[in-house]
Amino acid sequence: MKIICWIYFLLVVCLITFSYPCVASSSPEVFISTSSFEEPALLEAEVEPIDPGKATESLTYLRPESSLPVQFVERPTRVAIANAPPAPVEAEGDAGTIPDPIEPVNRAFFTFNDKLYFWVLKPVASGYKSVAPEVVRVSVRNFFSHLTTPVRLVNCLLQADVKCAGIETTRFFLNTAIGFAGFFDSARTGFNLEKQDRDFGQTLGIWGMGPVFYIDLPIIGPSSLRDFLGFIVDVSFDPRTYLAFYFATISYANTGGWVLDKINEASLSLGEYEELKRAALDPYIALREAYHQYRQSKIGK
Amino acid sequence: MEVFMSLTFLIRTILSLLFILSIAVPLWAVEPMEAIKQTTDKILTLVTNPALKPPSKTAEKEKLIRQAVDERFDWEEMARRSLATHWAKRTPEERKEFVPLFSDLLERTYMKKVEDYSGEKVLYEGETQDGDYAVVKVKIVTKKNKDISVEYRLKKEGNNWLVYDVSILGVSLVNNYRTQFNSIISQSSYENLVKKLKEKVELK
Repeated sequence: MKIICWIYFLLVVCLITFSYPCVASSSPEVFISTSSFEEPALLEAEVEPIDPGKATESLTYLRPESSLPVQFVERPTRVAIANAPPAPVEAEGDAGTIPDPIEPVNRAFFTFNDKLYFWVLKPVASGYKSVAPEVVRVSVRNFFSHLTTPVRLVNCLLQADVKCAGIETTRFFLNTAIGFAGFFDSARTGFNLEKQDRDFGQTLGIWGMGPVFYIDLPIIGPSSLRDFLGFIVDVSFDPRTYLAFYFATISYANTGGWVLDKINEASLSLGEYEELKRAALDPYIALREAYHQYRQSKIGK
Repeated sequence: MEVFMSLTFLIRTILSLLFILSIAVPLWAVEPMEAIKQTTDKILTLVTNPALKPPSKTAEKEKLIRQAVDERFDWEEMARRSLATHWAKRTPEERKEFVPLFSDLLERTYMKKVEDYSGEKVLYEGETQDGDYAVVKVKIVTKKNKDISVEYRLKKEGNNWLVYDVSILGVSLVNNYRTQFNSIISQSSYENLVKKLKEKVELK
């Protein structure tokens, strides 16, 4: 068993080391040299200027320009643009769009996940919701979130955010002591200490790595190459993983726990996916862009 | 006697302060955050109004909510920003057709969300203003131990602040629609986009 643990550890170390070249290559000079001139023009075509002086500028961009590429999916330079540090005006919320070279595969998995949600997850979560009152489900959410404290703590430290690490540590002790082993988020309700959402995908983003490209993973859902890598690394910070390694019997309980976690989360957010679909003209793109922007906003913080 | 004197002085100060404030209030009323607050309060009173609770009053309630939203949202600006480069290629007639379709889709989608309101608290976290543009940050506190941060982007039109984009958890509505619209137009045509929009709106 210990050997497996070591192999796992080495794998994680390898992943971290391999992610470094990506970090190093994301210096601004690289982008200027690799990106063509017309593409930034499209990215900036409709930026919301907070500076009134720039208002007229954006209007001029709106004039029809046949040279502007309407879509630029197959271009190799797109990765560079997505990685490029956002222009000041983009800080207003325009995160650009995420490269999607494997769109047909992603669309297939999107359909798979969509069916999985409507045929399996939603009925199960609805049934669970009718049995378990909201207080219980929120407590279950709190409990799982309490268990994954090490993931957030390690990422706080990797992001060199001392305040965040302090909050997470304090939260852990407070919720263990007076939150009944994490079932109640007393640190939040009593001490105003909010949970710090940190993960390794975000850490990589803060180190300068771009999302690379979009992946819609079966079961897990929307992700990017960077965030999927981060997800694998985060699993190694998750205490549940080690419990499963050391006690083989617990791995069943662990899988059960993971499933419960998923169903519990779904029961607390029933209707959100439906709403996204209802508002969208192309739900796949709506989900992809929403995911990308959500992640970008997390990294911007 | 002295106590009495200081008391009258205090009252006088308070009264004069109140007078100054009453003059200053109309000037404050046009602040972006105040604008968002007014609209939010208006909608919340409509949603929580027991007189509008019965199902027979739903249509009336929705109409009133729409009115309140329409007063605050600049749908044309929103549509213009969402269509981005494609907006300039549209004729005035096409734009006139597009804007209500777009606003209808958004209002219908989010009406349900508004009607589901169950006492969530709305915290006004702050505003940043730069000339005629402003951002108002709002946090919606749910009972599910997960807060929703919302950002309204506003533009000053005359003496009024109008919303042209809403970001929920960092996801901007305009940005999201821009990518969808761009993809649909580039893969088929603008006409197809309008057809899809109409289908969506009719489907409800």
